[in-house]
Amino acid sequence: MNSGSVLGIFDSAELLVNAIPRVKAKAQGRLEAYTPYPIEGIDKLLGLRKSPIGGMVLIMGVIGAISTILFELWTSGIDYPLTTAGKPHLSWEAFIPIMFEVTVLFATFTAGLGMLLLLNRLPMFRDPMLSAKSMPLITRDKFALAVEFSGSDLDVDSITKLFQQAGAGQVEVIAKPAPVGAVSPNFFAGLFATIAVSCVIAGLLMYWAIKLFPVSPPISHMLVQPRLNSQRADGFFKNGFGMRLPVAGTVRRGAVSYSITSQENAAGLVNPYPRTNEILNQGRRTYNTYCSVCHGILGDGHPMLTAAYGAKPANLVSQQMIDLRDGEVYHVIRMGRNAMPSYTADLAENERWATVHYIRTLQRAMNARDDDIK
Amino acid sequence: MGSDAVVFPENIPEGLKPPAILVGEVNAGGLDDQVHSHLYRRPPKAWFIAFAITSTFMLTGFGCIGYTFWLGIGAWGNNIPVGWAFDIINFVFWIGIGHAGTLISAILLLFRARWRNAISRFSEAMTIFAVICAVIFPLIHVGRPWLAFFLFPYPNQRALWPNFRSPLIWDVFAVNTYFAVSLLFWYLGLMPDMASLRDRTLGKVRKVIYSVLALGWRGAASHWQHYERAYLIIAGLATGLVLSVHSVVSFDFAVSLVPGWHMTIFPPYFVAGAIFAGFAMVVLALVVVRTTMNLKNLITDYHLEVMNKVILTCACLMGYSYLLEAFTAWYSMNSYIHHTFMQYIGGTYWWAGWTTITCNILIPQLLWFRRFRRSYTGMVFVAIAVTVGMWFERFVIIVSSLHQDFLPSSWHIYKPTIVDFGILFGTFGLFFTLVLLFARVLPVIATTEMKMILPGSQPLHKGGSHE
Amino acid sequence: MNKQTDKRLAATAALGLIGIIAAGLVFGWSRFWANWILWFLFLLTIGLGSLFIVALEHVVGARWSIPLRRVPERLSSLAVLMGPAALLALFSLHFLYPWTKPENLQNPVMAGKAVWLNERFFIWRVIGCVVLWAIAYWVFVSGSVRQDRDHNPSFNLRARRLAPLFMVVFGITITIVAFDWISSLEPEWYSDIFGVYIFAGTFLAGLAATTLTVLYLKSKGRLPEIKPDHIYNLGGFLFAFTVFWSYIGFAQYLLMWYANLPEEVLWYKERLQGAWGPLLLVLAIFHFLVPFFLLIPREAKSNPKFLFWTAAFILFSHWLDLYWMIFPVLGHGMHLGWPELSFGFFSIGGVLLWIRHSMSRGADMPVGDPFLREGLGFRL
Repeated sequence: MNSGSVLGIFDSAELLVNAIPRVKAKAQGRLEAYTPYPIEGIDKLLGLRKSPIGGMVLIMGVIGAISTILFELWTSGIDYPLTTAGKPHLSWEAFIPIMFEVTVLFATFTAGLGMLLLLNRLPMFRDPMLSAKSMPLITRDKFALAVEFSGSDLDVDSITKLFQQAGAGQVEVIAKPAPVGAVSPNFFAGLFATIAVSCVIAGLLMYWAIKLFPVSPPISHMLVQPRLNSQRADGFFKNGFGMRLPVAGTVRRGAVSYSITSQENAAGLVNPYPRTNEILNQGRRTYNTYCSVCHGILGDGHPMLTAAYGAKPANLVSQQMIDLRDGEVYHVIRMGRNAMPSYTADLAENERWATVHYIRTLQRAMNARDDDIK
Repeated sequence: MGSDAVVFPENIPEGLKPPAILVGEVNAGGLDDQVHSHLYRRPPKAWFIAFAITSTFMLTGFGCIGYTFWLGIGAWGNNIPVGWAFDIINFVFWIGIGHAGTLISAILLLFRARWRNAISRFSEAMTIFAVICAVIFPLIHVGRPWLAFFLFPYPNQRALWPNFRSPLIWDVFAVNTYFAVSLLFWYLGLMPDMASLRDRTLGKVRKVIYSVLALGWRGAASHWQHYERAYLIIAGLATGLVLSVHSVVSFDFAVSLVPGWHMTIFPPYFVAGAIFAGFAMVVLALVVVRTTMNLKNLITDYHLEVMNKVILTCACLMGYSYLLEAFTAWYSMNSYIHHTFMQYIGGTYWWAGWTTITCNILIPQLLWFRRFRRSYTGMVFVAIAVTVGMWFERFVIIVSSLHQDFLPSSWHIYKPTIVDFGILFGTFGLFFTLVLLFARVLPVIATTEMKMILPGSQPLHKGGSHE
Repeated sequence: MNKQTDKRLAATAALGLIGIIAAGLVFGWSRFWANWILWFLFLLTIGLGSLFIVALEHVVGARWSIPLRRVPERLSSLAVLMGPAALLALFSLHFLYPWTKPENLQNPVMAGKAVWLNERFFIWRVIGCVVLWAIAYWVFVSGSVRQDRDHNPSFNLRARRLAPLFMVVFGITITIVAFDWISSLEPEWYSDIFGVYIFAGTFLAGLAATTLTVLYLKSKGRLPEIKPDHIYNLGGFLFAFTVFWSYIGFAQYLLMWYANLPEEVLWYKERLQGAWGPLLLVLAIFHFLVPFFLLIPREAKSNPKFLFWTAAFILFSHWLDLYWMIFPVLGHGMHLGWPELSFGFFSIGGVLLWIRHSMSRGADMPVGDPFLREGLGFRL
């Protein structure tokens, strides 16, 4: 036996504490005490270094705090600026609680796992102490002092005598096997093999699970709840419409009174809005929202709804329509014509005139001349 | 921690003598035998009866949760404007129960109150079980629990992040952190005890389980040094955490504009209430445990008396908060707050308001008298009253404040359904089932911590005191 | 007892006195009374905080703090000394407090509050509080000093019985202080956590003043039995209650910031305008961040010199906190100049003289306490 340790087993903490300086003075080799509970001040007697755990926790806590608040600021203020509760995007006040929680999480796990894995090198099931005869005594109510030796620099008998003089009830010598690293190459091989096998098994299980069991959202009550869809027929109302129509005589906010009753009389109206880029864009938006459903996105009367609709909507880019005066087009938008309803309640004055401008643009675009290209 | 060596002057009157936190002769070995003995014994008939009852409740509760999943939140009585009811009441109730455990294990550790060592393990376990009961509710009340992972910030196809300005997201972080930290703290405390069990058990399977859980702990002084330091640091952090968790829970309400919810005193008031309810629950459980498991020499009358004093302190803090709530309802000169407060004490749910005041403020005042602090009947009566009162307090805050919102046309009387009650009692079943299992398979007293405070255990501290 | 120091302190106080009278004549009496309220509350919170520490020890039956107890006991005489100061401060009502102005009764909110905020009731509340504190001082401090001579343990029994009652009284009176002297500077404003906020500051001020005095006495060799372990505990408490103050302060700010209700944010609106905004930032750094990081290391809490300056810093931050709450009521920007300095000279010089004087009488420790020995043996 050329390395190991000699254990002196003491009956009380007091005997152990008294023995430490005596053994320390005479014996070479590292001293270690094994106790059922922490004895305060024993670290100083044994000459242990101060635990670095406080510094580790502080550093990790600060890292947790800074990284969390930066992450919150970045996600809520920069990557996806989300406006809620009328607060500024970079509202640090609201980010403090989570910052605090994550800081505590980082710090606690640094303390707990850092203590276990880094400082104490646990789990460790192969330490020779664990199979010592005196281990069950130590975890119960006895106290052990160990002198570690390597090579033949230690006289076991003299240490034994020293322990007995200090009041040790028993002395045990345990051999230390050749030092084994906490993680051996075999350990890594085993770890990777386990991970690989688990992946394959999990993949197969997933495959069979999807194959054998129909996959569906667990509960769809909230998706299929009864409701009226605006563009669908529905028996709930007498006229069978899912959507409610505005009450007769409804006008839009800011409506201007309009007394012209026939299309011919409206021919004299002049579009009061200039043909600017802005107005045309406004017209396009309005047209695409309200008109294109029936008249088609290009104004040529080929919309998606045609088939479902009895009559064919007017082709707005035909010569007949080009010949209409601005006022007449405006009048139709305002009052409706044939199957087309009135848009009094939906559109504002400027939107109607902007739409007229836009229809003119469509007409010009759909009737392009060869020399336009030049 | 060796108060044994202190010589007291002769003329100390009876009432000033330091209380006994241990009764009779207790030594380290005997302590292990006493605390571990019931792990090897077949539990008594009463245990099985209790287990049958609690697990029936638990399964009923699970059934109700399943029904909720199948039908949707419509299975509950919630309806606009009372969009939050039993789900959040129970969540706040249970998370509050958990706070007592952290207080005992962490805060009292920092204050070096030695009496906490006997009850720390038990109350920490109650923390963990209470948080388990609590997290059920936010999970099921989201309506689509299978999408709950949306709450975590992870890069996703939708390019969306959680709304970090929402107190509900703060809750997710607070409660998860709380659970993780409590579990770690509990496990670290348990580890040396596991080593002790490992070296004493005779069963082969048990030996393997205990060995793995002990992680090869061998009680080396160099390990204890880091262990003690880490334990103390975690206790300090857990103290901040326990304040923050219930404060964040209170923010769920207090950042809103709902009268009766938006009160600046909510954070400390919720923390005090949580500790209040938690201590009541610990007292209830300890009364049962110390008699049925023969632990009267370790959990003494003094322990119960101190806990009753904490309950009384919390009752006074609650009284202070209620008083300020009433004062502010008037002093703010805000008719909405005033109306809501009058609803608390004279509205549809007046009985809930007065139950709260009676159970939380008036009944605990009995504890000013030593007789009540020391008698089982007295303390059980108060503890039950506090548990009921604290549940109703959350009922008042949530339902009474919501049922009359700013728009009188949408006022609505909330009525819970049988499913609501099923889930509430189901979590009680779950909680006590877990407590019973815990008492069966793990040491209910932290023997390692107890060994630290036995006479003569700290020879380097002659003549010192730790209080 | 060093006569030289006494003379210097007296000269400082006298210089301050001349300064404050001159300030009143030069700058008008509003600023004079604002200073008066500020320094009165600063000293009162130190006194009340110390009284609370004394009572807390009796409530929880702490042993470690017994050897230190004489210091907060002496400091708590400030709470009684501030009784006359409070009565004089009543003259400030018409200068600083808007609710005393009859024209403000047109405002329905202030008119409604007049039941509480009227001068007669206010004066009765002030008198009531002063009397209660004086009784508490007599019970806890005079009793303890008497015990030095007769060594009668019945004092401990009485103190233990009465301390919980005092806690109730203290909770109510400190809330009244908060609502009356500070919150009612903005009578339309309300915050139900405000009493807790002022309590946190008060306790911290008492702790910081106690720590300062203990460490000063120790450096003069007057408390040789006090071990680093005792000092460490003081440092730990300072750390904990720095965090507690920040928690309460932040909770109040967060909730008001989030809800953004006009009647709530007016407090912060006044106190964030102009130079006051940066001052709040300074307050957050001085009152929380700096002491927090200074007190984290284990060594920092038991190093007497280090802890002395940290405690002084915390006490200064507490003064800054009160300044930030009280002075915006004057309007027209920040007032900080020789009038404030004169008040500082007067108050600090006078108080140090008072404390030195009271410290020179009797024992430095409660030598009659039966548990003193146990407290001296305290180790971490």
